[in-house]
Amino acid sequence: MSELKPRKDLLDIESLGLDEIEYVLGNAVPFKQLFQRSVKKVPTLRGKTVLNLFYEPSTRTSSSFEVAANRMSADVTNFSVSSSSIVKGESLLDTIETLQAMQSDYIVIRHQAAGVPNIVAKHTGASVINAGDGYHAHPTQALLDSMTFREVHPDYAGKRIAIVGDVLHSRVARSTSTLFHKQGIEVGVLGPGALIPEGRPDFMQRFQSWEDVFDWKPHAIYLLRVQMERQEGPFFPSIAEYHKMYGMNSERLVSMRKLGAYLMHPGPVNRGVEVTDEAMGYEKSLISTQVENGIAVRMAVLHWLKPETQMD
Amino acid sequence: MRLFKNGKIASGASPELVNADVLVNEDGVIVEVGPSLNGGDAEVTDCSGCVMVPGMFDLHVRGREPGFEHKETLKTCAAAALHGGITGVVLMPDTSPPIDSGNQLKSVQDRIVELGSIEMLQAGCLTAGRAGKELAGYSGLAALGVPMLTDSDRSIDCPDLLRRCMEYARDFDLLVTSHCETSALAKAGVVNEGRLSYRLGLPGLPAISQEISLVRDLALARHTGVRLHLQQISTGVSLDAVRLAKRAGVRVSCEVSPHHLMLSEEDITNYDTAFKIQPPLQKRENNEALLAGLLDDTIDVFASGHAPHTAFEKSADFGSAPWGASALETAVLAIYDRFIRVGKFNWDLLIRKYSSAPRQLVGLDPVAISMGEKANFFVFDVEAETKITPDYFRSKCSVSPFMEETFQGQFRETLIEKY
Repeated sequence: MSELKPRKDLLDIESLGLDEIEYVLGNAVPFKQLFQRSVKKVPTLRGKTVLNLFYEPSTRTSSSFEVAANRMSADVTNFSVSSSSIVKGESLLDTIETLQAMQSDYIVIRHQAAGVPNIVAKHTGASVINAGDGYHAHPTQALLDSMTFREVHPDYAGKRIAIVGDVLHSRVARSTSTLFHKQGIEVGVLGPGALIPEGRPDFMQRFQSWEDVFDWKPHAIYLLRVQMERQEGPFFPSIAEYHKMYGMNSERLVSMRKLGAYLMHPGPVNRGVEVTDEAMGYEKSLISTQVENGIAVRMAVLHWLKPETQMD
Repeated sequence: MRLFKNGKIASGASPELVNADVLVNEDGVIVEVGPSLNGGDAEVTDCSGCVMVPGMFDLHVRGREPGFEHKETLKTCAAAALHGGITGVVLMPDTSPPIDSGNQLKSVQDRIVELGSIEMLQAGCLTAGRAGKELAGYSGLAALGVPMLTDSDRSIDCPDLLRRCMEYARDFDLLVTSHCETSALAKAGVVNEGRLSYRLGLPGLPAISQEISLVRDLALARHTGVRLHLQQISTGVSLDAVRLAKRAGVRVSCEVSPHHLMLSEEDITNYDTAFKIQPPLQKRENNEALLAGLLDDTIDVFASGHAPHTAFEKSADFGSAPWGASALETAVLAIYDRFIRVGKFNWDLLIRKYSSAPRQLVGLDPVAISMGEKANFFVFDVEAETKITPDYFRSKCSVSPFMEETFQGQFRETLIEKY
C-alpha cells in the first residue's frame, strides 16, 4: 500500500479515500485482539491528551471514546455541556479559544448543530474527531458498522444492506450508507415517506414494504433508532403504527432467519418500537459486536490521525 | 466645474453606449453633454475605458439604525452604497424599535437629513412592532411620505390580517411589500431542502415555503387591488405564478437579488455562513429561470437585500448564524462581470431594473446623464478588475458570498448632488 497522506481530522465519511478506510479498519483488527489479553493497553498515545467534548447527552459514544483513549494510554478529560446551559448561538469562537487553552492533542466532539466540528477543526491544531453533529455525520459509527459487517461477510463487495427507519434525522444513516456504498455494498432504505428524504443520494433505493426488502435478499438489516426527541413534525401517526409498519417483529424475524440476514442497530434500542424483545434475542444480531468494535475502531482512528500540536 | 472626458455614457433607453464628455458645474448640475467638450478651467477626469452609468436605486437595504448600530449605521450604509454605484436606497423597518409609526419614521428621516448623504427612504411596518398581530399606523406613515409598507423578512402568517393590511394600505395608495415565507413549512430550516440539506445534515427549508406564501399574497392582491411588491424571488415556480398574475392584471412587481440570480445551493461549501442568505439559495436550475424572468420582464427590479451583521455574529455555526450578508458593494460588480460583460444583457437592462423601475415603484422620477439634470451617476472602469477582500468593503459588514472572487470592472467614483 502506498504511503497515506497524513490526516489531521475525521469529520465525515464523504472525504475519506478507500486507502484510508482500509488503513483504519485494518488496524482495528489487532486492537480488537488486544481486548482478549490480560493487559489491554498499548503505550501509543502516552503523554497525549484527549478531550471528550459532548454538547449532546451520550453515554455510549462518549464512554466508547473514553475507553479507546485509555487503552491507547492517553490522558482523557471528559467535558459534557448539558444542553440546557447552552444559549442558542453561543459563540463558537469563545468555545474554541477555551479549547485551545486546554492544549489537547485530540478533540472528540458531539454537537447538536451540523458543521460545528468543521469549524472547530479549522481553528485548532488538535485532531478533531466528529462524534456526531446534527443530522450530518457520525464517521466512527460508520467505521464500526463496516468492521462489524466485514467480520461476518469478509467478501463484502456486492452484498446488500437494508436500512430501516428515520433516514431524515439520522447522521448514522448518512455516514454508514456512504461508507457501505464506497465499499461496493448495495444500500436500500425502508421507512415512512416523510422520513426518507428526496434529496438522498441516488444509490439509496427505496423499498415500499418489508416484502420488497425480503425479496431483495439483504445480507443485513440495519434498524435506525426512532429519534423520539427529534420528531418536531408530524412524520408518522404514532409509535404504535411505526412499530406495526417498520418494527422488527416475530413475523419479520421468520423471514429474516430464512434469509440468514444479520441484524444491526446503532443503539440504544427502543424496545417495542424498532425491535421486539423476541427479536432482540435473534442469534444473528450484531448489536453487541457493534459496541465492542466501536472501541477498536476508535483506537485505530486515534492511532491514525496526526494532530498539528506535536513538535516531534 | 468638473469635466469627465473620453468616457461612454449608458442609458436605460438603448443598449448602445454613447461616446460623450460630461461637464458638471459647482452646483452639481450637468451643464453639457457632448463629444469633445472644452471645459475651460474645469478639473478634468479622464474616463478612457470607463462607462458612466446613472445612479442605482436599491429597494431592499438594511441600514440597521436605530438599534443595531454595531452591524451598520446610516453613515456606513450610505458610504457602502456610494462605493457600489448606488445613490438611493429604501431602508427596511426591521430596526429596534421597528419603524411602525409616524413618530418613528420622523426620527429616522431627521437623521437622514442630518447625514445629508445619498437618497434614503425609510420604509414602514405593515404590522405594529412587526409582530404580525395588528395593523401599524398607516396614516401617520403615509403623511410623511413612506415609500412602502413591509414587515421586512417576516411574512404575515394570518391571511385575514394581511387582507386587512392590504385593504387599508390601498386607501392610502401605499405599496405593500412581502417577504414570502410560510413559517409552518420553513420551521427551523436553514438551507434549501433537498440534496444539500441531506448532505450537510442541516434542517431543510422547502421551496414551497416561498411558493405557497407568494401565491396566497398574489390572490390577496388580486382581491384587494392593492399594489404588491414581492421581495427576493428565488424559484422558477414563484416566477410562473407572478407571470400569470401579471397577465391577469394584478398590480404586482417583484425583485431578484444578484446573489439569488448567480448563486445556488451548490456554492455552499464547508458550512460557510456567508451563504446563509434569505431566502436560502436554491437549486442551480433556478438561476436560469430567474435570468429568463429578468429578460421577459416578469422580474421588474434588482434589489440587493443588503443584510449586514458583524463577523462575530456570522462566525456561529450555520444553523445559529443570522441570515444575511453584505450586498450593496458587490451587486453592480457581479452583474457586470457575469452578465453584461459576457453579453447576456446590456447596461440598459441594468439601468431600467436597478434605477428607473425601482424609483418609479416608490414614486421617484428616473435619473439620466443629460443636460440640466443633477449629477447622479457613477464612473465604472471596465478595463480594470476588482478583487473582493475584507478591505474592499465600506459597509461595517464584510461577510459576502463573493469573498475572494475577482470581478472584471472597478468603480472609479460615484457622483451625487448632495441630498
